[in-house]
Amino acid sequence: MTSSDSKNNINKNRQTTRWFSNITILRESQITKIHYITGVSALFVVAIHILMRLIMPFNMSLEFENVILNYKNIFYALLLESILVLIAIHGFNGLRVILLEIRQTLIWEKAVNILVIVAMIGIIAYGTRTIIIANGFSVG
Amino acid sequence: MTSTTSAKRIDDNNKNDRTNRAGIRGWLNPIIYGWERVSYWFQRLTGIFLLVYFIGHVYETSSLVSGPDAWAAMLEMTQTVGGHLFLILVIGASTFHTINGIRLIFTQAGQGLGKPGRPDYPYDPTSVNNKQRSGLWIAFILAAVAMLYGANVLFSGE
Repeated sequence: MTSSDSKNNINKNRQTTRWFSNITILRESQITKIHYITGVSALFVVAIHILMRLIMPFNMSLEFENVILNYKNIFYALLLESILVLIAIHGFNGLRVILLEIRQTLIWEKAVNILVIVAMIGIIAYGTRTIIIANGFSVG
Repeated sequence: MTSTTSAKRIDDNNKNDRTNRAGIRGWLNPIIYGWERVSYWFQRLTGIFLLVYFIGHVYETSSLVSGPDAWAAMLEMTQTVGGHLFLILVIGASTFHTINGIRLIFTQAGQGLGKPGRPDYPYDPTSVNNKQRSGLWIAFILAAVAMLYGANVLFSGE
């Protein structure tokens, strides 16, 4: 490799780095930490969510009136919202990691990132809609 | 012929020769790669399965906003033997994914990997040790216990 070739490569790398740094919001190491934190946090909130179904006979706990009463409790509604956000982030980031393991090209990476972010926002918005309507904006 | 050209030609030949390529079967075979590989793909498979369940669960619970009849109709679909078996699988998958995930967090933090040593025959890596394997077995055992408990709750309705 000549010196001009190596200079070109260095310039190319610099451009790539600059280009990436313009769009990078989080480093991969930070995303991994978020993945772990959301996973461990989800463990606790999901445990409470399941326990709420087991404090009375399972079939009775799923009756419409009982479930609506759960949703009308603001603390339980907040718990459901936190489960929704934590699992959506953890789950869709996990899917992103799996998809990026399959192929490593720039266009694939960008497409996967956009796809999982859109899906994540979509599922959070849809779940939040259910929580808000079922809660009926009640704070009782 | 220079050594670089010769190496390139050998490399090209290897690329074309795919007769020894194991493919997806090789990926899934635990005998070749050991239980750590089982853990690897089980973590991914349970993760995808749980993500699909999560999306379905968010959709299922959205029937609440359409009133008691829509909720009852949605529940009727899940309160079947098939629905219960599916939920038991969800319980097993979530328990395995959780316990194995905690093991992986510890592993990534460098816990339970053993001390690095001189590579002596039979070159067993210190990172693949009984601590790691026992973590994996605990994940499988707890998943089985959770599935049994879930089956008891779902089928007895208590």
